[in-house]
Amino acid sequence: MDLLLLLLIPLLAGLLLPLLPAGSPWVRRGALAAALLQLLDGLWLWQHPPAALSANWLPRLGLRLELGLDGLTMPLVLLAALLTAMAVMASPVDQSRPRLFFALMLATNVGLIGAFLARNALLFLLAYELILIPTTLLVATWGGERRAGAAIRFLTYGAVSGVALLAAVLALGWLQPGGLNFSYTALADHNLTALQQRWILALVLLAFGLKLPVVPLHGWQPITYSQAPTPVAMLMSGVVSKLGAYGLLRFGLEFLPDAWAAWSPWLAAVGALSAIYGSLNAIVQLDMRRLVAYSSLGHMGMLLLALAAATPLSLQGVIAQMLAHGLIIALLFCLVGLIELRTGTCAIPELSGLLNPQRGLPFTLGLMLLALLAAAGVPGLAGFVAELLVFEGSWVAFPWPTLVCLLASGLTAVYAIRLFNRVGFGRLDNERADWVSTSWGERTPALVLTALVLVAGLWPSMLTGFSETATAPLALRSSDAVTVIAMAPATVNSAQLPA
Amino acid sequence: MTATVASERIKAPLIPPSTHRYADVIHRLEAGGSMLPDTPENLKQIIGIYKAYAVPMDFYWRDLLYIAERVFLNPLPAFKYFISQEYLDRPNSYAGDQSQLRIWRGGEKVHPELLEFMERGETGRMSKLFHHLWHDRVNMEFAEACMQAMLWHQGMGGRFNDYLESDAYKSNADRAIKAYFKGNPLMLGLYALFPDMFLEQVRQLSYTANLGLFWEVMAPVFFEMSDIYDEGGFKGVPDAMDFLVNGIFAVAGRPIYHHLYIGDECYEIIPKSEGFTWLYEAALPYVEAVFYRTAPFRGTKSYNAQAGQVPADQADFHYGILYADVFPVGSAGIPPTLLMQDMLHFLPPYLKEIYREHRRGEEDELVQLGITFQRSMYNVTSAVIQALRCALLYPLDDTNPEHLMANRRFFEAQMDRFLRPEARLPDIQSQDYR
Amino acid sequence: MASILETAASVGVFNTLLAAVDAAGLREALEGPGPFTVFAPVDDAFAALPPGTVQTLVDNPPQLARILKYHVLSGSYSREQLVAEDNWDSLEGAPIPIRSKDPFEVKNATVVNADVVCDNGVVHVIDRVILPG
Repeated sequence: MDLLLLLLIPLLAGLLLPLLPAGSPWVRRGALAAALLQLLDGLWLWQHPPAALSANWLPRLGLRLELGLDGLTMPLVLLAALLTAMAVMASPVDQSRPRLFFALMLATNVGLIGAFLARNALLFLLAYELILIPTTLLVATWGGERRAGAAIRFLTYGAVSGVALLAAVLALGWLQPGGLNFSYTALADHNLTALQQRWILALVLLAFGLKLPVVPLHGWQPITYSQAPTPVAMLMSGVVSKLGAYGLLRFGLEFLPDAWAAWSPWLAAVGALSAIYGSLNAIVQLDMRRLVAYSSLGHMGMLLLALAAATPLSLQGVIAQMLAHGLIIALLFCLVGLIELRTGTCAIPELSGLLNPQRGLPFTLGLMLLALLAAAGVPGLAGFVAELLVFEGSWVAFPWPTLVCLLASGLTAVYAIRLFNRVGFGRLDNERADWVSTSWGERTPALVLTALVLVAGLWPSMLTGFSETATAPLALRSSDAVTVIAMAPATVNSAQLPA
Repeated sequence: MTATVASERIKAPLIPPSTHRYADVIHRLEAGGSMLPDTPENLKQIIGIYKAYAVPMDFYWRDLLYIAERVFLNPLPAFKYFISQEYLDRPNSYAGDQSQLRIWRGGEKVHPELLEFMERGETGRMSKLFHHLWHDRVNMEFAEACMQAMLWHQGMGGRFNDYLESDAYKSNADRAIKAYFKGNPLMLGLYALFPDMFLEQVRQLSYTANLGLFWEVMAPVFFEMSDIYDEGGFKGVPDAMDFLVNGIFAVAGRPIYHHLYIGDECYEIIPKSEGFTWLYEAALPYVEAVFYRTAPFRGTKSYNAQAGQVPADQADFHYGILYADVFPVGSAGIPPTLLMQDMLHFLPPYLKEIYREHRRGEEDELVQLGITFQRSMYNVTSAVIQALRCALLYPLDDTNPEHLMANRRFFEAQMDRFLRPEARLPDIQSQDYR
Repeated sequence: MASILETAASVGVFNTLLAAVDAAGLREALEGPGPFTVFAPVDDAFAALPPGTVQTLVDNPPQLARILKYHVLSGSYSREQLVAEDNWDSLEGAPIPIRSKDPFEVKNATVVNADVVCDNGVVHVIDRVILPG
């Protein structure tokens, strides 16, 4: 029941908000209250781990309402609740059509939390598909100038992802020995042939590779992130994409470890390619939102590398990176949104001198510098801990892709400094600079996220503490093995692994 | 429209109109106006900022003279901004009853608003030392930056700099240095080893005295202008400029000198008898060095000298207030910010009100008052240009066309200095530049 | 013939100039054998200066002497000799430009009465105080 509350809060709020009178300030407040309440509930559940929930829903389809929280999903649920609250706060006070907007935001939240809580693949699929609809609508309705194209592309890629996942889930469900059962515990306990595993893994990779995304499945990402309204971009880049990483961890690594191990060198290579491709593209972007989008692509590549390596350390890195990147990327989009709100543009060539202490946006730019440094993995900030774990954990398995990812991480500093130099320094255009400074209300979400990025950097166990025991059993390789593929004793499926 | 045509017909021009890019400004100067357009708001802005400038200036000149005459070559001048009571009470030569030429009707001692600020600062009543360390004080660093600009640019007319290289100056300085370090074998030994280094320091101190004596005049001038405005005295910007022109002439002959006091004994490093005057040896070099030239301020913009972004010729330097980009004001430690910060404490209420109504209101007062300051200095520069025209050329109502053409050529040559893109002359023509 | 200062005193329009020469302590020098060429501004020329200008100078003899010396050349030169050159070095040190031959203009002043020959030099009467720079 405790778990259900996590879902019911946003669900009820989302259903009630549209009933409020038009123009009521309580729409925004209500959405915020719901998200904060959910966050509080999540924090309470963190301290008081709840029992798993299991109830029949549609037994003939194998759909059971199975919910649970473990060390893997706990931090993700908290992240989703936090970023929903921050996204609501980051929405303009005079949000147009607020009732629909916030209802859709909360619907996205329901989908996200549902997907993380699900202990049943069909339930996961349901939640996964649910997210696609409100996010598409949010982009299509409140997005930038090219929102229609962005929404169509996002929807198309999302639909393909959904279909691939559907196929994978059905295959897993049908092929497992106990009869139609989509429970995670049942799915983990299959005896699929190597070939079957590989076919299903191919579908899983397609589904979640599209969601993360990784090269070459990233076609929807830059345009969608750059066209989405700020709060939606925060939520999509911060949490929705993490669903892809979570899916790979759950459906790929946990359910199909043999195939995963077999293909992991290729996955590592794709990860490295994504990282370097994202970073290089970020360097040449002329639009801040696109720059942040490509930066995100690069970091998703690092996530894939760590997933492929699957050492205990790299899997901790995966969780840490999901959290750190979720905070950092949401912070970046939040700040870019603030800059756009004031200056009216995200175009890097049009902006300069925003660090100007009197007429610029020094506060926003100051936080931006911090966020960019965090993204570049500067010690003392959240990104450092995460990237260190990723690189250290992956190095033993895939030294070359790790090196490429290290290089990509170094390039983060290049585009970070380039962006900062162009936008922050130089001469402020006095004609353009006729705007008021940001209010504390507008700064709040950025401040909260910055504080967390700082705290996580100084107290890394915030990023890793949850997940140590949860990820260790999933490891395919041991961390200290210098030679590749030394089987970890605690692998879930210690089945025969092709060498 | 008809009125303009009619007035033009009455005053049939003796010479054809200028074709200069700033022809409008030149015609205004020829009509006895200022480079700054004559609007009520401009008048209000410049007088307000003169007042806000005069109060810290009352500290600058006193402390500059204190440094030049008392602190002198102190090797550890940590307390050079802790002005002595004697210099704080030093009667201004152009204010108060004792003055031979009374410019300001107010008192000769330090301005009461300044005393109040020195007492409380922004933070509150605490020891002088804490005010100093917390930088809650008058920013003498700005005054010294101006002095250094004068020292560095040197050859800008006048005989001051030539004299600093003369044998007479060297022997005077030598006597002063030996007297100052009497009984201090360490410093005397160092002086014996590196005499030129000490001499160069004394030259800098001579410029410190020079600037102090210059500002001793300007502070009462600005105070008086503020008082006249408060009484409803100025009808427009040209009136304010004329007051400055008359002031420049009135004190032009004031001696510029450098004396050192050790106890009661006076050592004349630059004696008054050298005949250095306020106009030639202080005011004109000051305007040239500080308004036009100075040097790029650290912390505002990066220049690449090898790419030719900094002129090879010092005379082409254009980093003074007339060219300054005021928007970076607020960056810590740069001289413009230091000055704006100083003036911020003494803004008259009517100026604060203007700032509240525009741009970011109180948040970007520093930039707004910086631009006001820029306007006001264009007016001061106009006064200098008109004074030079008056001293070296012909009256504006001269009937000889050749004389008028000579005036025209002079004005055009002055305006040529504002042709470079950095000049803010076009900006200040509009009230929207804030 | 009379000396430069005696001649000036007898005309009666150089009262300010003579007072200034006394104040600056230049009388003795100008009484000397010279010869000098003096550009002598009339009283109206001094009166045309903004108020306070002369007073400040009179209060400060060395500074006043400097301005006065700008009106004196070493040697005796007639109008004819003067207009042959563009610039003449004054006793002050700064050059005095000859701007026009006819009318005879020295810097921004017009010579209203040229070639008044005296014992120890020549006087040219000018209508404006000339200033170095």
